Amino acid sequence: MKNGSAYVSMRDITKIFGTVKATDNMNLDVTKGEIHALLGENGAGKSTLMNMLSGIYIPDSGHIFIDNKENRFTSPRDAIKAGVGMIHQHFKLVEVLTALDNILLGYNVGLFVNKRIQKEQINKIMEKFQLDVDLDKYVFDMSVGEKQTLEILKTLYRGARILILDEPTAVLTPQETVKLFKIMRRMKNQDCSVIFISHKMNEVMEIADRVTVLRKGRTIDTLIKENSNPQELTELMVGRPVDLSIKRIDKLTDKVVFKVRNLRADNEEKVEVLKGINFEMYQGEILGVAGIAGSGQKELCEALAGLYPIKEGEISFKGEDLAGKNPKEFITRGISMSFIPEDRLGMGLVANMDMVDNILLKQYHKSKGFLVKRKPAAEKAKEIIQKLDVITPGVHHPIKNLSGGNIQKVLLGRELDSHPELLITAYPVRGLDINTCLKIYDILNEEKKKGVSILYIAEDLDSLLGLCDRIMVISNGEVTGIVDARKATKEQLGLMMLGNKEVDNAD
Amino acid sequence: MRKGLTLLLVALLAVTLTVAGCSSNTPAPAGEEKLKVGFIYIGPVGDAGWTYAHDQGRQYLEKELDVETIIQESVPEDQQSEKVMKDMIDQGAKVIFATSYGYMDHVVNVAKEYPDIIFLHCSGDKIGDNYANYFGSIEEPRYLSGIVAGLKTQNDTIGYVAAFDYPEVIRGINAFTLGVRSVNPDAVVKVKWTNTWFDPAKEKAAAVALLDEGVDIIAQHQDTAGPQVAAEERGVWSVGYNTDMSKMAPKSYMTAPLWNWGMYYVKTVKEIQEGTWKPEAYWGTLKDGFVDLAPLTDIAPAEAQAAVDKVQDQMKAGTFDVFAGPIKDQNGKEMVPAGSTVSIGDQLGMKWFVEGVEGKIGQ
Amino acid sequence: MQIRLVKKADIGTRRQTLIFLAAIFLALFTTGLFILFLGLNPIRVYISMINGAFGSAYRLEQTFVNAIPLIITSLGIAIAFRMKFWNIGAEGQIIMGAFFASYVALNHSDLSRPVLLSIMFLAGFIGGAIWGFIPAFFKAKWGTNETIITLMMNYVALKWIIYLQFGPWKDPSALGFPKIPNFAENAILPKLFGLHIGWIIALILVVLVYIFMNRSKKGFEIAVIGESINTARYAGINIFRTIILAMVLSGGICGIVGMIQTSGVNLTLSKEITGGVGYTAIITAWLGALKPHWIVLVSVLFAALIQGSSYIQSAFGLSAASAQLFQAIILFFVLGSEFFARYKVIFDWKSLSKAKEDRE
Repeated sequence: MKNGSAYVSMRDITKIFGTVKATDNMNLDVTKGEIHALLGENGAGKSTLMNMLSGIYIPDSGHIFIDNKENRFTSPRDAIKAGVGMIHQHFKLVEVLTALDNILLGYNVGLFVNKRIQKEQINKIMEKFQLDVDLDKYVFDMSVGEKQTLEILKTLYRGARILILDEPTAVLTPQETVKLFKIMRRMKNQDCSVIFISHKMNEVMEIADRVTVLRKGRTIDTLIKENSNPQELTELMVGRPVDLSIKRIDKLTDKVVFKVRNLRADNEEKVEVLKGINFEMYQGEILGVAGIAGSGQKELCEALAGLYPIKEGEISFKGEDLAGKNPKEFITRGISMSFIPEDRLGMGLVANMDMVDNILLKQYHKSKGFLVKRKPAAEKAKEIIQKLDVITPGVHHPIKNLSGGNIQKVLLGRELDSHPELLITAYPVRGLDINTCLKIYDILNEEKKKGVSILYIAEDLDSLLGLCDRIMVISNGEVTGIVDARKATKEQLGLMMLGNKEVDNAD
Repeated sequence: MRKGLTLLLVALLAVTLTVAGCSSNTPAPAGEEKLKVGFIYIGPVGDAGWTYAHDQGRQYLEKELDVETIIQESVPEDQQSEKVMKDMIDQGAKVIFATSYGYMDHVVNVAKEYPDIIFLHCSGDKIGDNYANYFGSIEEPRYLSGIVAGLKTQNDTIGYVAAFDYPEVIRGINAFTLGVRSVNPDAVVKVKWTNTWFDPAKEKAAAVALLDEGVDIIAQHQDTAGPQVAAEERGVWSVGYNTDMSKMAPKSYMTAPLWNWGMYYVKTVKEIQEGTWKPEAYWGTLKDGFVDLAPLTDIAPAEAQAAVDKVQDQMKAGTFDVFAGPIKDQNGKEMVPAGSTVSIGDQLGMKWFVEGVEGKIGQ
Repeated sequence: MQIRLVKKADIGTRRQTLIFLAAIFLALFTTGLFILFLGLNPIRVYISMINGAFGSAYRLEQTFVNAIPLIITSLGIAIAFRMKFWNIGAEGQIIMGAFFASYVALNHSDLSRPVLLSIMFLAGFIGGAIWGFIPAFFKAKWGTNETIITLMMNYVALKWIIYLQFGPWKDPSALGFPKIPNFAENAILPKLFGLHIGWIIALILVVLVYIFMNRSKKGFEIAVIGESINTARYAGINIFRTIILAMVLSGGICGIVGMIQTSGVNLTLSKEITGGVGYTAIITAWLGALKPHWIVLVSVLFAALIQGSSYIQSAFGLSAASAQLFQAIILFFVLGSEFFARYKVIFDWKSLSKAKEDRE
């Protein structure tokens, strides 16, 4: 970190959505050549603050200074002109174009584009920051890591000197994360300012120079990393002392209850996405599933839940064959399996409906007659609110207005209410803050104690290693190995996620 | 969010009802004395044709007599027209003129429901205690306009854009053709149906189709000047209908059969005011001045005026009958023997074309 | 200068109401200017409009005659829209309902009145239901675009009726005038309190549709599909069957409108049978937020607007076009206000001056 006055300075920034103060007189200073982490729980105002710095939102009040000059951004274009660029969690790339075309797209206003000259300029930037992008490669052929590098290149090419990365590691493998950190350090050495949004403590500790902690729309403190520690940061972030460890409960029995044999499935383009998956699950164990995003996790759990067409293979649960059955049949046959889908509001719940109707969704089949009965569902809703500490203005409040953690609690609460013996959970803690994560781990352990078998699909290797009994790694639709979570390491999992068959230090 | 809106709408409804309640108690201003006459039109008054002509008649009525008139344009020929009549009665109309054939049954329905109101229906044939009909021998000026066209045509083919194959229209085509062939026995009249009274674009398109078949004069039985415009654009000639269409087609328009509705409206309303009105099937003629031929323009052939005058004088004298035999139909079959004629009753039901017409009935 | 739209967060009831009031005021003001331009007194015209819609028993009756088809059609549309199935085909479904009902009415007038009317009612429902089933089947089976198919089927239905009216069903006693014979007395809806009993049917349907949409299992499934197909699959809902059912009901209810209009108002079938209700009802269904009780309110107000402007047309001798223009202006502002309730418009003067600087 270089000394000197702030390069970026945000003063007294307030933004109100409806009745909620998303940011309340927030302040932030970032200097040149600094990696500055923004740490905070969901809803702390990290993304809102950065969206204002990058011109997506307009602050209701407050000032933004870049290089001591006040700026008022009304669009991302204004921001990039002032040298501010943001890399979002969801990439803004056109899949059917090449890397080069994506970089030039919408930037050159002239009628003709001289690609050769532009390419030279881009190559210069790549050299300067040691970015490795194949400019002629199509985006649909790229891995997530490559796409992210391309986004960074695109932003740098447009003149960004201040780069905002919004939870960039959420979609990466450990190896890709290492690469990204290298790039970030190089940018720092080139006197760029990098703002890194995260809620992963270990990453913040690894890469940041300074950390600004946000909580509930307010800036709590800015600390120099060297002078702080994870425990202190977490407590600042959460606002009270927390125990960060994930507890593991020993597996109960060795009784196999769930068996999957040679499971194969094609996607809509007739490309095989599940290529002969084999595994079994014991009663009362948590089996983790690790893999790079898009390796077949979604298809796997949807296939198990009867929501994805299976080409061949067997799925047997306590001797009953589930392959090819749909959710309705599961319900009518009384198969006690529950599925917590990855897309909570798009599949698990109905965003615009209230809690009662969302609980009704899994209950109305069972009641007799032409009409639905909302009373029992409402009572159930109140029960779930109590049991899982759901924070909501009431059972008739639309689900979409709840926070992510509370939404997940509603979904989990509803599914656990049917007392399943097999629970499939896809990314159950994704996007949730530390407190809620811990609460969810507790809930899962609670179920495990009751003898429920849990398939736990996650991206965060720490939680997989801490919570699960075994971890199954899949890569490109294949199982590359099943390892004992007590003995496995992150590096080993990372290699397997990239397609290397079981690296042998598991047993 | 929606609840506020609903409350507001309810409040709005309540207020409107109250206002309506109050205002309905106050008598309509100056409406007690004057007789209120309603006119129901098939098209807009700006159609430059049928409805325009009726509206001219209405304005003439307002000028001549101390009455108030109300109108409704573009009233469809179905149950909707009954609603419009009732609306007018609700507003105080005592006399209603329904100016299109398709209103006929509806006029009868409403007339039976409102025995105190007098209904006059144009071009129909129903008559009762408080309703009657009016029409006239437009075939006389049509025959005369046929003479003009027959003298003008160079290639002996004339086009005729016609609305529907009703007897009224067929009768007009026949009269026109007889007029054409009285001066030009070789000429033929090609007919195109549009199945609409009021659709300038469709009428024009039909005329264009006829022009493509090689006709050099366009005559018509429609409510607008669409066909005239088509002829004008092609640089050939036309015979209009309802009104003087020289403004729409100055280089093409020669003459047009006209109605003089105003004279009938004044006569009838005066009778009603004086209490002397009796239900009758009014049938106006050239002699009465109810129908007429528009003055010939410079485009009409020089010899036409004399030829027209000769026949017109006979018509006015009552010595000329358009449908005097012998008349053959399209297939050469003699329909009206020499020395006889077509009775008014048969004219009202006419379903055949005279020789020289190219076209089909019942498509 | 740049103009930018920014989505607003949910705004409060008060602001919503204010925006709505402002829209009404602006609409009246704009229409007022137009009326002044025509040389009339706007206040008098407005009072006449209200007077014309509600001012006498007869006018009130006419307003309700207009409101009945609007209410029922909006109900039908609301069922489909709740499922986010954009049924633009109410017009065609009304026509087909009218066709089926008329077929019965014209060919079996020897039946007793209650029997004949019941069969006509059923036939109307079936006719509309078939016209709703076809696009639903295509959508559920092959994922076709329902907007286009329902819209196109309106024209098919309309041309079919025109064919009948000018061809095989033409009244032989009408001297070539293209109309379908009037129904026999047996086939005409009886009146109650001066109004054909369509109003009772409408009220019953409002209650039934309300129960169906808010209390029934099928109604719940339709709502879930409308919100998220994936959630519906996840919850074990049979999507194919539910789409078909919803559209059969939606079309069938619109078909009932066809029966009521032929039997209660028009007394026969004609190509003008719908009077555009199938399209107007899309607006009323939407303004009524797809809720049966609000649909009734909005439809009655809308019918009043139509009746009121028809009244001022003859009372002030206005042309048909200007009366329609009043309706259009009022609608434009009311519908437009929805937009301002959701978006904020930002006039960015700065980028203008900036652009100037750049040039200089």
